Amino acid sequence: MTVAAEAIAHRSRRRPRLKRIAHASVPYLLILPVIVVITAILGYPLYKLVTLSFQQYGLAELIQKKGVWIGFDNFSSVLHDEVFWRVLLRTVIFTAANVGLTIGLGTLIAFLLVRVSTWVRILLTAGLVLVWSMPAVVAVQVWVWMTNFENGILNYVLTELHVGDYTGHDWYGSTFSKLGMVTLLIVWGAIPFVAITVYAGLAQVPRELVEAAEIDGAGPGRVFRDVTFPVLKPIFLILTSLSIIWDFGVFTQPYLLIGSSAVDTSNYLMGVYVFIEGYSHSDFGRGAAISLLMLLIVAVLSIFYVRRMVKMGEAQ
Amino acid sequence: MNVRAMAAAVLVAALAVVAVGVGGASGGSSANTLTVWLQVDAQSGWSEVVAAANAQFKAQNPGWDVDVQYQTWGTHLAKFDATLAGGNAPDVIEMGNTEMTKYSAAGAFQDLTAISFPNKSTWLQGLAASGRYGGKIYGVPYYAGSRVVTYRTDLFRQAGGKIPQSQAEFIALAKRIGAKNKAKTFSPVYIAGTDWYVAMSFVYDYGGQIAITRKGKWVGTLDKPAALAGLAAYKRFFEASSRAPAGSNEGTPPPYDVMAHGNAASTYGAGWFTCCVGDYKSKVAQFVMPSHTKGQPIPGFLGGSDLAVPVGGSKDKAAAWISAFTDNASMTALRAKGNIPNTTSLLGTSVNERAARKSWFVPQSKNWVNVENGNVLRTMLQRILSGRSSIKDAASVASDNITYTLNQ
Repeated sequence: MTVAAEAIAHRSRRRPRLKRIAHASVPYLLILPVIVVITAILGYPLYKLVTLSFQQYGLAELIQKKGVWIGFDNFSSVLHDEVFWRVLLRTVIFTAANVGLTIGLGTLIAFLLVRVSTWVRILLTAGLVLVWSMPAVVAVQVWVWMTNFENGILNYVLTELHVGDYTGHDWYGSTFSKLGMVTLLIVWGAIPFVAITVYAGLAQVPRELVEAAEIDGAGPGRVFRDVTFPVLKPIFLILTSLSIIWDFGVFTQPYLLIGSSAVDTSNYLMGVYVFIEGYSHSDFGRGAAISLLMLLIVAVLSIFYVRRMVKMGEAQ
Repeated sequence: MNVRAMAAAVLVAALAVVAVGVGGASGGSSANTLTVWLQVDAQSGWSEVVAAANAQFKAQNPGWDVDVQYQTWGTHLAKFDATLAGGNAPDVIEMGNTEMTKYSAAGAFQDLTAISFPNKSTWLQGLAASGRYGGKIYGVPYYAGSRVVTYRTDLFRQAGGKIPQSQAEFIALAKRIGAKNKAKTFSPVYIAGTDWYVAMSFVYDYGGQIAITRKGKWVGTLDKPAALAGLAAYKRFFEASSRAPAGSNEGTPPPYDVMAHGNAASTYGAGWFTCCVGDYKSKVAQFVMPSHTKGQPIPGFLGGSDLAVPVGGSKDKAAAWISAFTDNASMTALRAKGNIPNTTSLLGTSVNERAARKSWFVPQSKNWVNVENGNVLRTMLQRILSGRSSIKDAASVASDNITYTLNQ
């Protein structure tokens, strides 16, 4: 590599200046298509979002395709709205619960996959992949049917099993139960990704390290803490930061499961809140401001993990 | 390839892109297609009327096609906003009468004042008013719907019930029906807990209102004594007659489904519910929901739809389709389905039309739709029915919220 570079540098010294520049620009030219694509699909919308957040941009402006510049008014009105702070707190708690449950249960299932016999593992993995490949909207609809108060199968089964009389029980009666059902659905849908990834990671844990620890008298808990976890740490960091990003901005599950006629300020999560403020109220400037704030918050929440990952990369 | 030929090629390609853009902006999938957004009510209730209007339009406008896309009430406005921004709005859109004002005020629709629609001089007053803004017509009345009680004649007879003449009589009857049908999911009168159209009828029945204007400002009035009395009456009625959860809404499950499943003896809702009660179709009849004052009807919500022409589309063709869809033949067919036609010239004395004589309507503010989207009334009703807060507390929170939202 360095030899080749030196050779190129050596040869190019004798070439005219123009050719040298052309030569040096080859890497940049090669990367150009990627930059153009990223700019087009990510940079431009982001630029529009930022400009939108500084404008009064409602329905009338949408139709005329021309907003009114109002500086930081959108941001200050959002930051002075107590609903925003309540939704933020709720979403942070919700995210912590969801990420914790997803990673915890996913890891347990990964350990289970290691222990069970081959055909059980195949069955389990197939089940996990099926869950993972189910589109969120379809999953929500199935859950809505299963938990329907009038003739959902959940109430029927619980009543038949004599767990209690669940006839006509409403699973969405309070804010806690609404968000609880959303949590169940999200964790259910996200476990496969964690379980399969951790399971793949477990194959990297050197067998002899585990055996050595066991010979030295370490129990399963100790082995996990001192051997398995340190080896899998990079994987857990990536899974956690990805889960935080997904769960903090989650929209499909809460909006569809709670339903458009039941989402309100007492159960908004960030994703639903920005949708209602931006789209339902046709206040697109304010919606843009909230989503920029969301971006900032997610960045802050996941910066810890990203830093750890970068450090680990440098160490290697 | 020489430079000139290349430049020409680039120019042609660029023009093609522009042309594609323009084509996309005309709304339809192709130039001669009229895109129409109707609510699913039309699909499940009177698709043959839609088909007849399409056939008539196509016969009168050779070479044109109609693409009817069915929407749901919960999502059609967000989709409409997206198409307005993208410049591919439909050519005709069905709007709920409570949704018109906001969009008319924002300039989303074309002015239809000069067009002579069928029965224009005899349009239903209440509905025509929702289509007007600033002295211009933006919405053509499509149909109205009053709310009536749809009931199972067999179960009412079994409970020895005559048609109740007051709410007290209705509650007594509901209790008798409930005593004969003890299943936990069975409702003598199925009403979804957060069905605010029903709840507000009780409020207006007791002389209450949702909001009034004072000195050019909106003031929420649900915390006033008359409104509180109405909410209390709603709670009494609900508790005596419906087994729906406090947080349920009238969309999932639709009340007619509950009747079709055999889980309700009656329900208070749209006049066309008789269409969809399954095996009980031959056993249902309807009456006007009584007031708390004996012999009087309760003021019902006059729901309804307008047909509007979003900016950007072909006004003439859109108007032609609307004319076909709202002419006497279409309106007669719609009326036969239990709807209230858009013209007084076809109005009769059916149960729906009698129920429509006394009606209430939402505050006509461009921000009212935000109260609906924010589920302010539904939240209040859930709090009241679940006992999570007192009627007074829930109502004053909702009322403050309404005052704030309407004045924004």
